[in-house]
Amino acid sequence: MVINVKNLVKRYGNLIALDHFNLEVQEGEILGLLGPNGSGKTTAINCILSLLKYDKGTIEIYDQPMSPEAYAIKRNIGVVMQNVAVFNELTVYENIDYFCGLYVSDKQTRKKLVAEAIDFVGLNDFKKFYPKKLSGGLLRRLNIACGIAHKPKLIILDEPTVAVDPQSRNNILEGIMELNRQGATIIYTSHYMEEVEQICSRIAIMDKGKIIAMGTNEDLKKMIKSGEHINLELLNPEEMELSEIKSLPHVISAELTDHQLVVKSSRGKNNLIMILDHLKDQNIGIGKIYSEPPTLNDVFLEITGKELRD
Amino acid sequence: MFLFNYRYRLKCIFKDRQLMFWTFMFPILLATLFNLAFANLSSSDNFKKVNVAVVQNEQLDQNPAFVKALDGADNLFVVKYTTQDQAAVLLSDHDIDGYITFDPDLNLVVNQSSLNQTIIRGFLDDFKQSSATITTIITQNPSALANGNLEGISSRTEYLKAVAANQSNPDPVVNYFYAMIAMTCLYGGFLGVKEVVAIQADLSDVGARINLAPTNKLTVFLASIMAATTVQLLELLILLAFIIGVLGISFGDQLGYIALTCVVGSLTGVTFGTCIAAIIKKGEGLKIGILIGSTMIMCFLAGMMSANIKYTVMTKAPILGYLNPANLITDSFYALYYYNTHTQFFTDILLLCGFTLFFSSVTYFVLRRQKYASL
Repeated sequence: MVINVKNLVKRYGNLIALDHFNLEVQEGEILGLLGPNGSGKTTAINCILSLLKYDKGTIEIYDQPMSPEAYAIKRNIGVVMQNVAVFNELTVYENIDYFCGLYVSDKQTRKKLVAEAIDFVGLNDFKKFYPKKLSGGLLRRLNIACGIAHKPKLIILDEPTVAVDPQSRNNILEGIMELNRQGATIIYTSHYMEEVEQICSRIAIMDKGKIIAMGTNEDLKKMIKSGEHINLELLNPEEMELSEIKSLPHVISAELTDHQLVVKSSRGKNNLIMILDHLKDQNIGIGKIYSEPPTLNDVFLEITGKELRD
Repeated sequence: MFLFNYRYRLKCIFKDRQLMFWTFMFPILLATLFNLAFANLSSSDNFKKVNVAVVQNEQLDQNPAFVKALDGADNLFVVKYTTQDQAAVLLSDHDIDGYITFDPDLNLVVNQSSLNQTIIRGFLDDFKQSSATITTIITQNPSALANGNLEGISSRTEYLKAVAANQSNPDPVVNYFYAMIAMTCLYGGFLGVKEVVAIQADLSDVGARINLAPTNKLTVFLASIMAATTVQLLELLILLAFIIGVLGISFGDQLGYIALTCVVGSLTGVTFGTCIAAIIKKGEGLKIGILIGSTMIMCFLAGMMSANIKYTVMTKAPILGYLNPANLITDSFYALYYYNTHTQFFTDILLLCGFTLFFSSVTYFVLRRQKYASL
């Protein structure tokens, strides 16, 4: 096992940031740690990395207790922090070389690793640039290169796509999947459910310092009653009785906003056909129709009663 | 690992323009301004010889003893032998402070009364008194002349031996420069703050990244402090070279001790900064503010703005002087410049070493922790 965290408790005064937090990470997976801001994702990561003191619990990495002096373990870990952590006085090349040098002392090996990291994040044309001259997306790439240049076996990425444009975000996500294909185990924290759904093989949903659900994307969605969201554009909605829609089998909720009817239904066959038949009987005209599968937000909403992005 | 860190920290410091301005360019600019402002201050305090004219006439020729006495006072007077008319012209043109004439008695002619005229008057009174004494002795006891008892009467024997308390002329200006160098030493605190912020996970993101690496934090920090001290020392030596070589301010000739003061002063300054950065938990701006504020107060008390303040502190509250690193650095240079002994110098250096040890210890106890309560 790569990471094994048991009953981790971290308090800030009266506030419980981590409440008996448990986590197991297997070799070769991409584990997504998903949760709203303030749910404890970054605190959990900082405790796992032995940056933060904690009140209770045990943390093992590669079956060894993790501590600030556990240099053998640290050598295998790469961290891409939420904030860009580079020296403004050093160039792109120098920054990567410096942070790689904290792990790799051999100059020739380091030179090769730095070149590969620059190539990996696509900063070949910016090697001599200072961070202040880089765009937000390029800075994020530099931040990633500084964290992974020493080729770690375990990579922890803490919201690496915050404030990044869509194109750079896609590049970063593709890069993470490539690192995983090369053999790295990855922990990816985010409050963007789409990103987590896109790249993670397993997802842990956090709220109030606890993991409230864990599994694959499909597993999580199977945990909830919601099956699909059916969106219908009604041509004459004034003739429709919303309570009748709500009383149909498998319908969990129905909302009408202007001409848009949104029906959430539980799992079951022919939900859409039933609704369409009902509307046809009522002589209600229908424009566009589309159906969406449940999202991780639905999972979060059903478990906690609040939106993931609240 | 040590050299690797040392090299990169040197790069980071040298490329920090703001830091380089305050620790390097600002003291040079301040020294230049001091030099412009104080250019005439020391020269006005130097004693200038009194210009005096002596009228050449028969009576003067008959008093070779007076000429001899006047020649013997060449450290007091610049003497011109002229005619009566020329002496009057020189006096009216203010080229001389007065002129002496035998007419037949010894007379002094001046056109104003001030210090220089008083000095001439004092000399003449002294000469007249000696002459009168000799005349009285010869009149009352002529055999004294024959016995040779008067041979040594005109010569002055000093029974007190004057020993110079200092090896240089007092110069009020140098203290301003010494205090300014003390300020530069303590501005090394900027470098200390930078290095602590760069290594503490709760103060900077790069600090967090360094704490995640499989390296001993204190080894990295030691390399950082050595780099900071190297830069500070270099800046200080360039400043000294500028002050001595370009501005012509004297520091005496004890270069080894001057270098020792620079090294100890730099260490005190850098560790002062690390100590402030370690114990003040708020943002970097507040740390810098406290550093500048405390440095300015210490330099003010060390006489950088007014030499009287230093004097007042040393007479009214001398303990404050010994607890002020800026004052100790200033005093070290002062002791080297003025005193023949090194007692005061080594007292100052030892106290500075004590401060360095204290600041380093506080920094170490804060930085040695490996985990943080919050980030």
